[in-house]
Formats: sequence, structure tokens, C-alpha cells
Amino acid sequence: MLRPRRLAMAALTAMLALTLAACSQDQPNTTFDPHSDFGGAIDSLWDKLLFWGTLVFVLVEAALIFVVVRYRHREGRPEPKHVHGNTTLEILWTVLPAVILVLIAVPTVKTIFRFQAAAPANALQVNVTGHQWWWEFEYPQYGFRTANELYLPVGRTVNFHLRTQDVLHSFWIPQLGGKRDLITNRTNYLWFTPDSTLGSDVWNGFCAEYCGASHANMKFRAFTIPAAEFERWAAHQKSPAVFGATVPAAGAPGAAPATTPAAGTRTAATPPGAPATATPAAGTAQTPAPATAPTPGAIAALPVSTGQTDASLGFTIPRADYADPKTPIPEGLTFQSGLTGDPERGRQLYFGAGTCVVCHAIAGTQAASPIGPNLTHVGSRTTIAAGLYPNDFEHLARWIKNAPAMKPGIIMPVFGKGLRDPKTNAPGRLDDAQIADIVAYLLALK
Amino acid sequence: MATATAPIHATAHYYHEEPTGVMSWLTTVDHKRIGVLYLYTSLFFFLVGGLEALIIREQLNGPNGTLVSAETYNQLFTMHGTTMIFLGIMPLSAAFFNFLIPLQIGARDVAFPRLNAFSYWVFLLGGIFMNVSWLFAAAPDAGWFGYAPLTTRTYSPGLNIDFWAIGLQILGISSLAAAFNFLTTIINMRAPGMNLMRMPMFTWMSFVVQFLLVLAFPVITIALVFLQFDRLFGTNFYSMAAGADPLLWQHLFWVFGHPEVYILILPAFGLVSEILPTFSRKPLFGYPVMVYSGIVIGFLGFAVWAHHMFAVGMGPIPDTVFALTTMLIAIPTGVKIFNWIATMHGGAVRFTTAMLFGIGLVGLFTIGGISGIMHSSPPADLQQTDTYFIVAHFHYVLFGGSMMGIFGGIYFYFPKMFGRMMNETLGKVHFWLMFIGMNLTFFPMHFAGMYGMPRRIYRYDAGQGFEVFNMMSTWGSRMLAVGMLVFIYNFFRSKMAGPVAGNDPWGAPTLEWSIPSPPPDYNFAQLPTVTSRYPLWDLKAPQLTREVPHTREGDKTTHVEFAGADAGDAKLSSTDRTRQPVAASTGTSARTAARQDWEENRLPSAKALGIPMPLSTIKPLIVAIGIIIMFTGMLLRSHEIAQIQAAGGEGSTMPSVIVILIGAFTLVGSLYWWLLTPLEEHH
Repeated sequence: MLRPRRLAMAALTAMLALTLAACSQDQPNTTFDPHSDFGGAIDSLWDKLLFWGTLVFVLVEAALIFVVVRYRHREGRPEPKHVHGNTTLEILWTVLPAVILVLIAVPTVKTIFRFQAAAPANALQVNVTGHQWWWEFEYPQYGFRTANELYLPVGRTVNFHLRTQDVLHSFWIPQLGGKRDLITNRTNYLWFTPDSTLGSDVWNGFCAEYCGASHANMKFRAFTIPAAEFERWAAHQKSPAVFGATVPAAGAPGAAPATTPAAGTRTAATPPGAPATATPAAGTAQTPAPATAPTPGAIAALPVSTGQTDASLGFTIPRADYADPKTPIPEGLTFQSGLTGDPERGRQLYFGAGTCVVCHAIAGTQAASPIGPNLTHVGSRTTIAAGLYPNDFEHLARWIKNAPAMKPGIIMPVFGKGLRDPKTNAPGRLDDAQIADIVAYLLALK
Repeated sequence: MATATAPIHATAHYYHEEPTGVMSWLTTVDHKRIGVLYLYTSLFFFLVGGLEALIIREQLNGPNGTLVSAETYNQLFTMHGTTMIFLGIMPLSAAFFNFLIPLQIGARDVAFPRLNAFSYWVFLLGGIFMNVSWLFAAAPDAGWFGYAPLTTRTYSPGLNIDFWAIGLQILGISSLAAAFNFLTTIINMRAPGMNLMRMPMFTWMSFVVQFLLVLAFPVITIALVFLQFDRLFGTNFYSMAAGADPLLWQHLFWVFGHPEVYILILPAFGLVSEILPTFSRKPLFGYPVMVYSGIVIGFLGFAVWAHHMFAVGMGPIPDTVFALTTMLIAIPTGVKIFNWIATMHGGAVRFTTAMLFGIGLVGLFTIGGISGIMHSSPPADLQQTDTYFIVAHFHYVLFGGSMMGIFGGIYFYFPKMFGRMMNETLGKVHFWLMFIGMNLTFFPMHFAGMYGMPRRIYRYDAGQGFEVFNMMSTWGSRMLAVGMLVFIYNFFRSKMAGPVAGNDPWGAPTLEWSIPSPPPDYNFAQLPTVTSRYPLWDLKAPQLTREVPHTREGDKTTHVEFAGADAGDAKLSSTDRTRQPVAASTGTSARTAARQDWEENRLPSAKALGIPMPLSTIKPLIVAIGIIIMFTGMLLRSHEIAQIQAAGGEGSTMPSVIVILIGAFTLVGSLYWWLLTPLEEHH
């Protein structure tokens, strides 16, 4: 009997040590280090809950251990006294917890009403739409859509309008506050203000409501950046994708962006009011596209996006190790090495029959389908497949070739020649060279 | 410490007409045998659910696990939850309802013995029905909560959801039939003098649970009927395209789902309330308060459901209301914890395995209760819900609470069920493996959750800070697996060769310990007259109960009649002798005593005593089979509809109609046959 008890003590000590070690670790998604007013209010509630919870835990367990040890059976001890109840005690241990609960309830109710009030009128509005299994973000005040990568200005309240295209999802950025579900046929709201003291940072976002096969693969990134940079980012997003135009020539020092007609809107320090004039209804698809024909000649060997700061964009993309996906490519997904791809051929393939254009919109082109993620500036994103893989040639190529193998359950079909779609059994029809072309085109869409 | 390991090689079935063989089990209507059937079946399903959990844990052991696919993982966690709740803990509780309630209230059987058999068969077949889905690679995969619209045909065209929804309907029939049976039994079949405030606490908590079952199961039944109608007949209860509101399902589900939590925990509370007084040699502290708090928990259990929905955006007022009711329910729950501790205070606490599990429940459930309060605060819950913090919380409630209580109950009542003692050394090894393994598995999940790990994910990426906690959890789960192996070995070894228990191996106070172990089919040769909450202590240790209300006069007038031919003084001395557990004493004297006890306790049959007992019958089983055939027809119909949709409108639903009709004829015919046959032999 002693031995298991000693074993128990050893195990508990080991557990405590491990737990402490875990606590000291850097936690990239912790809820204990919030960076918004909402997150901060929750955290201060949590502190109260933890304090009272710990107190009750220690008292109850101490009483339990004391009683069990102190009154353990010993030979020769007289029969226990026949105590069967005590009204005073019963009242006491009914009232005391009630008092503690009041101390928890009051700040709870205050916080409920504070953060379920209407968002401030000047808040940045973001329409979030959940899809199986990716996130659509629309900025109605600026008139553009993007997917899976959310940019927020620090110090400005953002009000999320949460909707879902299909099943339930839940929108959660642990470091920026609590989650809110996306409910079919309803609109939910969630607002918070990222701390104005933040610099440029990236946060992991998750889907927190089970939504089917790839629920685990429905992630996103939230970038908090200074307000001025946010305006440049928004202006850049709003500008239609002018394929190739913003990409520096191969080998040229990345600092000097090629000047193009479209670049003007980007480099100018756009006042915040200006983009807001766009009507909320104006989605990317409706944005008047400048009839600029793509200028394929400008692009030779394209620099593959590594997601590093791209000065040409006028804003910094914050990076962090925890925000770089490390999901391994599933075994058996091969891709011919050495291909670099031709973006112009890729563009033609994109708009070919039964390919990308069927599902993916690119502002400024005839691609306007709302089915898949908007790819207007996909080249300047850090991740693909809803935060699942890094946005680089290797992953994107395999993704186009055989997306269902890389993300279970998705509706994006298999395109690789010689493969068959797991759902429809339709054969893929693009060879690796063609896929490389498409990848080159997409990565050029900065 | 148990040392008496040399078994007494004698059959435990020491009354004459105990039938044996498969047929006797298929036709039994004896509540004790049905209880044993429930026990075996639910332990089996508990192992299945545990195996699913082990695979889950291995998958999550490291980042980006590849042991199982996303689809398989989703089936595993869905079936783990569904199995543990509906096929594990609920029927484990039902095993005790069946075995114990008639014994504790001094009855010869339940009110409706054949309905009781029917409940069991429906449960067994329903459990098989649901698990057969694995053979078709179509196990349910939308979570045990099955939120619409994911469960609608649009998003789940396969048979997975049909297996789940139909399976739950089948199990609901079983639960409802059993609940009505036990309600009737407890209300009507208590022995003379067994008024409500003398009922043993386990029966009391079971009584509350039966009300919860009767009131909660119709709600999930309706929710599931809506879902099946949508899937089979194209109705629009959850059809999002037709403008349905997904919150309809959520409200219906949790109006059932929260009382369900108390359905799972209250029987364990009842078992612990039997164990703690026995091994503290003290009456339960605050018996009336324990009764009232159980009732209050039952009532409030219906007023807190939407605390599962704080993230759905119900608005500030519902959030506030459900936060407050949820906090309120902590009070009666806390009162129970305090009263258990007070029960042990001043007692003579003996650390039997059953007691260890009982103490374990008090300590571990407290943790689950405290974390429960942490998410009763809606803003705080917005960081906690749908994360591993919640997984940690409810496993402390259901593993640390329900399962600890149930294991305690198994060690405590094993001697009564099988007439032999379980091995205490192995029992303690089992307990410590469970206790440490349980904490190692579930405590780190608190951290994983608060550090941002969502639930129900089949993999997580490296570098998110989740690795160390998941690794700890996996090691803990392996420890639990070893613990379960020890338990299984102990269970069967003890059943075959454990020391003979005698009537009252623990010195317990309630009626069930006054009769032989295992009890004869008629339980009590002569129905007892009860004058006390603790009739056996009145007889054997009156100093323990003198001041307990309802016994003040009983002290003088107590005359519990013991069952068996030799009721009376001789019998009393025999029980006195076995008050010290046989397993706890050493040497040959204990074995000799036990052997004598066994010799003396050869019991006459019911027939010899002129006690009419219900006849064995196969009909409840056939009725249950009829129901399963009907539901299988519904499953087939869903398959046909999917085929027709895939084929663009071509196909027939005739086969399913035929199957449903066959089932209906079997059901109606055998039910009619059942109703025509008498319950007892005519004398």
C-alpha cells in the first residue's frame, strides 16, 4: 500500500515539474497574454476565476486529505461517534460558495454587457464568411475580398460580421480574444481593439467549431500592423491584380519596385477616408477592372514568394516561426523537379475550360466565381489551403496537382494528369509543366 | 491488505434452481441477472470506447500525426463520446439500477420484470447496431452532439449519421422503458416501512435520474425524429437552404444534453454515498441535505442547457441568465462534496479499493466542478469552449466523477453480485494506475486548451506549444490502459476464485447486505419491515445510528427480517461473523468461516418457499429484435435515397419498405404474444 502511494507522489511530482516546464515555454497561442481590450477583459475575469478556483481547490482537497489521513482506521480505536448532520454547517457551506459566486457573477455580467454592446460606429468592418474549410474576409469599407489572411490595424476597433456559407464554424484568434460561432442563416458579431502598443505581429487563428473532415485544417492568420501600413495594404488589396506588374525583375534588388500604372494607388499615402467611400456592397467581382492587358514580357524567372518583407508592397508582412506552417506534404505526392513555369502560359491555363477560373476569383479579370478563395493577391500571402501549408512553389504545385490528398474532404478537384479525383473519379488533366505554369502565374499575383 | 488469496473452490450458485446455459440468459427476467448482463455489456462497450480513446491519443501524441486519416479520426472521437455516454456510463449505471434498487428497497424484483429484459435487449442490440457501422467504414462522424446542418444530407450524405441518429433512437427506447420501470419500482415496491427518507442514497439518486431520463429523452427523441425526417422524407427542420435555424437543434440537443450530464453523474454520487459511510463506519452526514441537493441538481439541470452555447451569440440577457443558473448549480454540488468530507470526518476510514475510488471521486470531481465554474462565466468561456480545456473539464466530471464512482461501486458490490471478493491488492494497483493515469491524461489538457488548442482536431501543427501536453496525455492514456487490464484480470480471476464473500463482507448498513451473496432469485424470503435508514447497523452496531432521525423509535422496534430459511438469530450471528470482510482477515480461520457460511447458506428455491416469481421468457428479446429490424429498414431506406440521388432519380425504395414491414410484424406479433402470456405460474 505504501509503494503505490509513493509511486503516486513521484508521479504527481513529475507531473508538476512537467507542467511547470510547460508553463515557462513560449506559448504562441496562449490566452493568458491577450493583445486586445476584449482579450484583456476576459483575462482579468479568468484571473478572478483562477484565484477563487484555486482557493476552493486547495481548501477542499486539503480538508479531504486531512480527514482521510487523520481519521484512517486503526485497530483498537473506539467506534466513531454517530454524527449524522449539522444544520449550521450545512447553511455555512451553502452560503459561502454563494458569496464567492456573487464575486464572480458581478464582473462576469459587466463584461457580458460591455462586449455584446454594439461596436463603435467608426470601427473597421470585416465580413467573415466561413466555408468548408477556409475563411473569406471582406472589407466592405474598402471594397475588396481576401482569404485566410486577415490584416488589422492596431489601435482601431474591428467589428467582425460572422456568417457561414455552409455548416457551423467558429472564429477564434486566441491571442486577440474569445471566439464566436458562425451560424448558418444568421449573422453574428464580434469586436475588439488590437492593442495600440502592438507593432507588426502575426497571430494564429483557428476554426473552433467542428465542421467536418478538415476541421483541423481550417486555420487562418491575423496580422496586426500599424494603421498607415494597413491603409497601404488595403489600397494594395483593392487594386486589381495586375499580373506581373508589381514584381521586380529577376535579379534586380528587391528595393526598387517597377513603376506601373497601378502602382500609383499603392505608393501614395492614401488617407483613411478615401477607400471607405467604396460601398460595402462592392465586392471584388464588381470592382471596375482596368482593362490592362497582362504584360507577360516583364516576367522572367519569378522570385518565389518566401513571404519575406516585400518592400514593393508598401507594407511589412509580419512573420513568426509559429505562423509558418510545418504540415508535412503527405507521402507519395511527387512533382517533377526543375520546373519553374511560365506565368503567361499559366494565366492562359487559369482561364481555360474547367480549371481555376471556375471557382477562384481574381479582381480585374473575368474570374469572378465565389466558390473558392479569392486569389487576387495570392502571391503576397504567406500560406495556402487555410493556413495549412506555406505559400511556395513546392506546396502550391502539389496542391494544384492533388489538393484532396493534401487536405481531406475538400471540393477542389484533382488536376494532376494520371490521378483521379476521390469524389467524382474524374481524371486529372494537367501535367506537371502546366501546373508549374499556373503556379508561376499565381505567385506573380502579388 | 488482502492476503486471503487461496480460493474456496465451490460454486457461487449455492441456491438450487439457478438455471444455467445461454437460453437461461436469453430468457431471464431476474433483475439481478439483467443487471449482470448490463454490467458485462457496458464494460465491453466501455473497453471499445477506451480503445477508440487510445487510438485518438496515439494520433495526437506528436504534431501532424498520421496514424489515422482525418475521416477515421472524426469517426473515432464521435464514437468515443457516443459510446462512453450511451453504451458505457449510462448502462453501467443501469447495471446498478437493476441489481441494486430492488435489493435496497426490499423488493423481489422490479415492477415490470419483462419490460426490464426488453430494455436490456434493446440496449444491447442498439449498441451493436451503432458499432456495426465500423464494418461499413461508416461510423458516425459528426460528434456526439451532431450539430445541424453538418448532419443533414447535404453535408453528410453517407450512412454515418443514420447509424448515429437511428442508434440513439433505439437506445432512447431502452432508457425510457427502463426509467418508467424504475420509477414505478421505487414508488410502489418499497418494503413496508421504507419511506422516502429511509431510502438508501443510491436509490434516491437513481430515483432523481429516472425523472431526468423521462423528461430529457423525449427532447432528444424529437430532435432526432426531425433529423431522420429531414434525411429520409425531405422535411426542412434543419434544411439551411429552406431557411432553417441551426440553433433549433442546439437548443433541443442541450435541453437533453445537460440533464444527461446529471444522468451520468448522479448514480455515481449515489454509489459513493453508500461507500463512504460504510468504510467510515459513520452514517451519511446530512442525509436530508444530500437528498435535497440531488433533487435541486435535477431541477437546475434543466435550467442551464444554454451554457453549452455561449459562443453562438444568444445575446447578453440569455448569456447572463444561463451564467447565473449555472453558477447556482455549483451550490448543491458543493454541498454534496462537503457532506461527503464531513461523513468521513471523525470516522474510522478503511482504505478498501472501493473506498479509494470513492475518495478519488470526491477529490477529482471537485476539480471538474471548479473548472465548470470557470466556464460558467460566458466571456471567460469564449476562450475555453471548444478547446481542450473543456475536454479536461468533462473528463474530470465523467472519468474523475462517474467512472471513479462506478469502479468504486463495482468493487463494493462485486461480492453481492458474484458472491466472491475481488482481490484488494490488484484493486489498489488498479486504483492507483487509474488515479495517476487519469490525472496525467486530463490535467495537461487544461493547459493545452488555454494555450489555444481547439477540440476535435485530428492533428495539430508543430511549434504551436501543444506538443508536451499531448505527449503527457498520451502517456497517461497508456497508463489507464494498463490499469484496465489489471481490472479485467482481477474481475474474472476474482469471479472464478475469489474468497467467498458472505452476506455482508463490508459491515454495510443497508438491506441488500442482509441477504445472501449472490441473492436468491426471490431476494428476500420474507419481505423485510424497515424502521430505519440503516437497518443492519441498527442490528449490528446500534451505537452508529442511535441519533439518526427515523431510527429513534426504530432502535427499540427494529426487526429486520433476514432472507433465507434460517432467518433469525442464527442467521444474525452468521452475518455478524462476516462483518469483517473475509478478504481482510487472514489465515485459515477466515476461509473456514467462509466455507461454513456457504454451507449454512444453501438456500431453498422460490418454489419451495411458495414465492411466485415471474417466468422466464424469450418474448422481450423477440420484440427488441422486431424493433431493430424496423430501424434497420430505415437505415436501408436512407441508403436507397442516397443511391437514388446519386443515380439521378433512378432506383427503388421497396426493399426497405419490406424490411420495415417485417420488423413491424415481428414487433406487433411478439408484443401481442407477450401480452397474452401470464407473468407468473398459476398456483
